Amino acid sequence: MRPAAPALSPLQFRLTAAGVLAAVLPHLAHLPWLISGLVLALIALRWLQRGRGGKRLPAWVKLPLVLLFPVLIVLHYGNLFGREPGSALACAMLALKLLETENRRDARAAICFSAFVLMSALLFDTGLAITLVLCCVLVVLFAALRALESPRTQLAADVRTAAFALVGALPLAMCVFVFFPRLASPLWGAPSDTTARTGLGERMAPGTMQELLIDDSPAFRVVFDGTPPRRQDLYWRGPVLWYFDGSAWSRPEWLAAPRDDGEVRVLGPRIGYEVTLQPSARHWLLALDVPLGAPAGAVRGADMSLVSRARVDDPTRYRMVSAPAYELEPTLNPLHRRVALQLPPGFDPQARALAQRWHDEFNGNANLIIRAALDQFHEKFTYTLNAPLLGRNSVDDFLFDTQRGFCEHYASAFTFLMRAAGIPARVVTGYQGGYFNRLGAYWVVRQSDAHAWSEVWLEGHGWVRVDPTAAVSPQRVQIGAGAAAGASAPWYQARWLMEWRNRLDLVNQLWNDAIVQFNALRQQSLLTPFGINQADYPQLMAAMVLAASVLLGLFAWWVLRASPRAGDRLDSAYQLLRRKLARAGASPDATDGPLTLAARMALLLPGDAAVQRALAAYVGLRYACALPAPEQIRTFARSVRALRLPVAT
Amino acid sequence: MNTRLAPVPTSAVALDPALATALERAQAQVNQVVLGKSAPVRLAFACILAGGHLLIEDLPGVGKTTLAHALAATLDLSFQRVQFTSDMLPSDIIGVSVYERESGAFRFHPGPLFAQLVLADEINRATPKTQSALLEAMAEQQITVDGATRRLPSPFFVVATQNPVELAGTYPLPDSQLDRFMLRIGLDYPDPAAERALLAASDRRELLAQLRPCLTGAQVLQLRAATAAVLASPALIDYVQALLAASRAHAQIRVGLSPRAGLALLSAARACAVLAGRGYCVPEDVQAVFPGAAAHRLIPAASSNASRDDLAADLLARVPVRP
Repeated sequence: MRPAAPALSPLQFRLTAAGVLAAVLPHLAHLPWLISGLVLALIALRWLQRGRGGKRLPAWVKLPLVLLFPVLIVLHYGNLFGREPGSALACAMLALKLLETENRRDARAAICFSAFVLMSALLFDTGLAITLVLCCVLVVLFAALRALESPRTQLAADVRTAAFALVGALPLAMCVFVFFPRLASPLWGAPSDTTARTGLGERMAPGTMQELLIDDSPAFRVVFDGTPPRRQDLYWRGPVLWYFDGSAWSRPEWLAAPRDDGEVRVLGPRIGYEVTLQPSARHWLLALDVPLGAPAGAVRGADMSLVSRARVDDPTRYRMVSAPAYELEPTLNPLHRRVALQLPPGFDPQARALAQRWHDEFNGNANLIIRAALDQFHEKFTYTLNAPLLGRNSVDDFLFDTQRGFCEHYASAFTFLMRAAGIPARVVTGYQGGYFNRLGAYWVVRQSDAHAWSEVWLEGHGWVRVDPTAAVSPQRVQIGAGAAAGASAPWYQARWLMEWRNRLDLVNQLWNDAIVQFNALRQQSLLTPFGINQADYPQLMAAMVLAASVLLGLFAWWVLRASPRAGDRLDSAYQLLRRKLARAGASPDATDGPLTLAARMALLLPGDAAVQRALAAYVGLRYACALPAPEQIRTFARSVRALRLPVAT
Repeated sequence: MNTRLAPVPTSAVALDPALATALERAQAQVNQVVLGKSAPVRLAFACILAGGHLLIEDLPGVGKTTLAHALAATLDLSFQRVQFTSDMLPSDIIGVSVYERESGAFRFHPGPLFAQLVLADEINRATPKTQSALLEAMAEQQITVDGATRRLPSPFFVVATQNPVELAGTYPLPDSQLDRFMLRIGLDYPDPAAERALLAASDRRELLAQLRPCLTGAQVLQLRAATAAVLASPALIDYVQALLAASRAHAQIRVGLSPRAGLALLSAARACAVLAGRGYCVPEDVQAVFPGAAAHRLIPAASSNASRDDLAADLLARVPVRP
């Protein structure tokens, strides 16, 4: 039997446990709360048990736990395979590994497994923030590995070494990143999750957009070819909703049938632009009203909404041309007319009556009816994100009772009124506005810019956009939903904060462009200038090995170049002191000893005691003792760094 | 020099206050007689503290003998002066065994070397034979006559003076024998102010007669013990070694400094630290004693026309103090 391996020192164990905890933390966002709680509790209990000098846990404690987790996971997810169940199982097993971590071999295994669990967090998110968090966790893991090498290390030294190792590994990682053969797909062939994300839906019921309006994550980014339209003209067209069932608006599937361009008459200039859509797990593509044609892989429906054949699971980029001035469907298709006048029977009698009254009063003049409806909104209604709940007759409740709400309430009520008054109308959802990012010269449209408006069909004009929200709150269209909501705007939509978020958005955009979207094509374009036109895997591997060797050689040279005395912190601190003295006019010669300099400084700056103290401290450390204590050297170095001397003219 | 120095940490080795005062007084007293020569006086004291022998080399009449006499009068030691001449024999300084009729045996009559402080005036007037007798005694601290070895008193301190070697009628000391002197100092002409004070004041000989001894032999031995205990840190030893190495690598130096020269340099630097009231050496101590300790030991290359003092100064200017 082999002799028992030496037990871990307290610091070694704590660092290992901290590494395990840190590796699990990025997963907490998606783990079910029960498993999160159990994992955290296991780590905490083990920490306490070990801290009190507890004994090795018996198998009858560990074995049931090992069986419990898979059962819980299967109960929650339905199986053990796939991204979520797999990482949940990994987190649970990692926490269990900590239970039996008693010696160095166990700790090494726990740390290596932590690194794997940590890496699997990238399957969920490849953003810059999570990458930075992962780097921090790696420092903890490296520090734990280093602490395992010797029981007498110090935490600060471990962390320093770990950070140094991480930074040292960066060039090598970049080299492998650039040269490693990759498939023509994004960085991780990660399976996309199937849970719903916030984004425009295919249904719109009162309140469904509320979640969106407080979500500030970017929906898409746009770069215009020329001068962009004014902000209030930026209506980004998404799903068009025709069918109202009394509570929600939805879109009949058959309207997706593509139609030819003849239905749109372009009246003004065309605007070219490029859209980068964030993953939405849906099929919608967004385009400026009204899109001319559809990007490759997508179709334009009869109602001018764009639908991609593939679900948007990765950032998607496409070019579009739109016409801000247009005449849409000058002659209304009879089928469309029927759908655009559809109303659910038995709902909202008051609204129907009001619309009927207008119809009679204005003799069916559509313009006057629209004017009357907008005037009513303008006079009596309030724009707010905190809309009261509505009952069964949602339009009646809203029009005659609450009179408070945001875009979807207005679009819904307005469209209802128009239909009831005999004017064909439909609800268009999408986004309105956007923020120009001066740093990156692009527009970013956030989820909180989600908007809903109406289109009415007028004889001789075709479909005309009417935004009832603009009648209530013109600011909503001019400066954005958050600002228009005023006091009810969440604090994080403050102006100064938006400025900073624009900057952050640029950084994220760059990260996304440079790292996450780096694919085989980009890799090839990087290699072409070096004469590699069609890189095959062996060539790429050769390039990778070559570049890595050069980097490692440079690193080795840098490490070995240092003379034995280069590590002397006292010398480097004294050199800094001499540089400061030189700036103060002492012109220190290489043969000037510290006392000579002290005498010179006493003449130059007679009142300056700090210089004299610093030089005296150096003499004390360097010449008055055989081996200066490290903490004294650190104190000296600090005092030198803090020393401020007048600069000689 | 030390008045402007920074307040450096007090050392582990502190001199007994009485001893420190006595040392101060002794230096002050010598400086009263030898005007405007505080640096050579300091080196002379460093030499005493380091347990070496002193060679004062300069033109006649600049105060070599006066300095030696002032030292002798200040130190409460048995004193002998030997004026070297070309017809002097070794026995004239060592002593002779004389047959005594009453006892029927030879009895040794000690020469002037059997004193604690010996002033060997104009040492280069004596023949090499006599010179060697003196230098052997200095090195061994003992004399062997007629097969009997006799110890010299302790402390034993020789102050030799000599005229510059170029002068006629002299036997220049060979390089190997110069090595026996720990320090060689020059006095040079006094500066105008000191010279004026010298001319205006009364006769030096009268002044010398008024001097009171300040340091006893026992105190000198205590000071020597304190000197030996002065800390030379690794950094300082680095510096001394760098100086030695530079002297051996210098293009204009035929023979560089020996390890014995290095020991002498370090001892003198330690003494210098004691004189400054420190228990540890700093590079400035080494720099202060380096010309005195090294110049007379350097042998210039045949092609060089630089003087030994120039070479020593050049070495100091070449070797950087750490870092």
